[in-house]
Amino acid sequence: MIVQTALLIGLVLFSVLAILLRDLLKSAISLAAASLLLGIVFFRMNAPYAGVFEISVVAGLITVLFILTIALTKAGDEVRESRAVNWVFPLFFVAFIIIDALVMKGLLRKIPALASGAETGTFGDVLWKGRTFDLVGQIAVILAGVFAVLALFRKRDKHD
Amino acid sequence: MIILFVALPLVIAGILPLVGKVSRRVVPDLLANATLLFLLVYAAVAGRHFIAAGPVLQQLSWFGEPVAIRLALDGFSLFMLLAIALVGLAACLFSIDYMEHYGAKANYYALFLVMVAGMNGLVLATDLFSVYLFMEVAAVASYALVAFGLGQDELEAAFKYLMLSVVATAFILAGVAVIFGMTGSLEFAAVAKALQELNAGAVVGVASAFFIMGFGLKAALVPFHAWLPDAHPSAPAPISAILSGLLIKVSGVYAMTRIFLNVFGLTPALSTVLMSLGTLSLVVAAFLALGQKDIKRMLAYSSISQVGYVVLGIGIGTPLGIAGGLFHLFNHALAKGLLFLTSGSVQQATGTRNLDEMGGLAKRMPVTAMTNLVGALSISGVPPLNGFWSKLVIIIALVQAGHPVFAVIAVLASVLTLWYYLLMQRKAFFGKLNEKWAAVKEAPFWMTAATVFLALLCVGIGIFFSSTVTTWIQPAADVLADGIHAAIGSWGF
Repeated sequence: MIVQTALLIGLVLFSVLAILLRDLLKSAISLAAASLLLGIVFFRMNAPYAGVFEISVVAGLITVLFILTIALTKAGDEVRESRAVNWVFPLFFVAFIIIDALVMKGLLRKIPALASGAETGTFGDVLWKGRTFDLVGQIAVILAGVFAVLALFRKRDKHD
Repeated sequence: MIILFVALPLVIAGILPLVGKVSRRVVPDLLANATLLFLLVYAAVAGRHFIAAGPVLQQLSWFGEPVAIRLALDGFSLFMLLAIALVGLAACLFSIDYMEHYGAKANYYALFLVMVAGMNGLVLATDLFSVYLFMEVAAVASYALVAFGLGQDELEAAFKYLMLSVVATAFILAGVAVIFGMTGSLEFAAVAKALQELNAGAVVGVASAFFIMGFGLKAALVPFHAWLPDAHPSAPAPISAILSGLLIKVSGVYAMTRIFLNVFGLTPALSTVLMSLGTLSLVVAAFLALGQKDIKRMLAYSSISQVGYVVLGIGIGTPLGIAGGLFHLFNHALAKGLLFLTSGSVQQATGTRNLDEMGGLAKRMPVTAMTNLVGALSISGVPPLNGFWSKLVIIIALVQAGHPVFAVIAVLASVLTLWYYLLMQRKAFFGKLNEKWAAVKEAPFWMTAATVFLALLCVGIGIFFSSTVTTWIQPAADVLADGIHAAIGSWGF
């Protein structure tokens, strides 16, 4: 329980840091640390596949992409952020924590406990046999992403 | 073969960029338009045949073994498929000439078809997670399409749209997670059944709040509307037509209605929330539209206002109210699609979207002026055009259900709508011809053809409204009015 609580607090802390830190590089690394902690939480809650994906894709691959992109930007490209961000986010965050502390416990008690059934099959079974329509959607999302990159990084021949 | 509605546009989208290497214009034009024409005919002819004996559920199999692709086609989804195909085809025809100067046409059509596939998939999905996923498919394609012009404001609008859309989907996903945690299932029928047995009002309330925020953002209801007046005007005109005419309705109104009416069941509290949100949108956005100088921005605000009517109608929850809401959804899809297309013709001819700089364009672009007038009068609810009948049905339903105050507000907002549309028509098309536009010519053939097609539909549906209502609207409204019984009774696999 203590380990779990520590992990969750760390997760929230690093997520907040990712938003508040001005240096993009530090912000990306905080996000990776948050994701790593989340991955560990997944492992501890008996969801090894979710943990593997979280750590390898979000903490690993996406962080690499972020850092590469940041490395490609030049100094002097900083966009000035509105000062409102400095106080709006902490305000919302504190309000959220207060509401969470007041409401969530009572609400969770009202959720009927779900009977934890036996494992309904292997990961592959669930993915291929249980959620096949979602795979069609995944293919469509990837197609959309590829076409988006092709369209947005095309040579601007006649337009403009 | 219901899966064709999703698979066909996806497959064609997949091969379009390859075809584009061989033929840059003609073949992509032909392929994309033929696909949408096929979808339209398939929905209009075969679709009605499919559901003649009630909702169809299809479980696909792969080499004899059943796979978990389950699709459901009932009156409501068929009605949405028809609307998607109709407006999609008009926008696609318009693109033949309009997208000429943007370049990369094959890629454009590919994204367009992925967006259509995403909307069709959402409409046919039978579980909550698939709804979320196909909403993302359509959304990802639409971000790229909004930014397609690659100008500064296009990119900025697309980024803003992306950010607010992500917030919307986060809320929707949170709602889905709450429901899954409570019922252990994602399928509409199973969730509806489990919720009946669980009697967990508070938690359903939390999930409903998440869904209202998420789908409200997607449908751009006031106060979740800030992204739309930037995103929709910046896109190329045919994409504005699809976004305003279809996307906000499919990923906002359709998904919300399906889940609230067929899965959760409409409670009096939920009904009040929906009606209030709808009324707020239709009034606030109408006032905001009044002050706009940018023609497309005015149309975008008008979309928020008209979606308010749709949500107000459906929120009443009576069979007549639902029918009115759906009928208005259909009419608004056609008329707003038409208006965005004509605004595209004007923008291409004059190079400006500023209403103050236009004037007297009817002399140079008579067909565009006429079709624009039809669209404007239709949305304002002038008889005998289609928009009049749907607004009338909504107002009658409001009075019948005992909400006279809402009915009066709806009538007054409709007057406001007529006011800003006449203002737009007068500033852009009537009056003295601005000398700058002496050399302006009527829009090219396919652009005019697309607007005439939609204008004829607006007039035709207005005249033959009763047969439209009985063949398309009523079956859809029946499914919704049936509430959770529609899902539990006929959707269980």
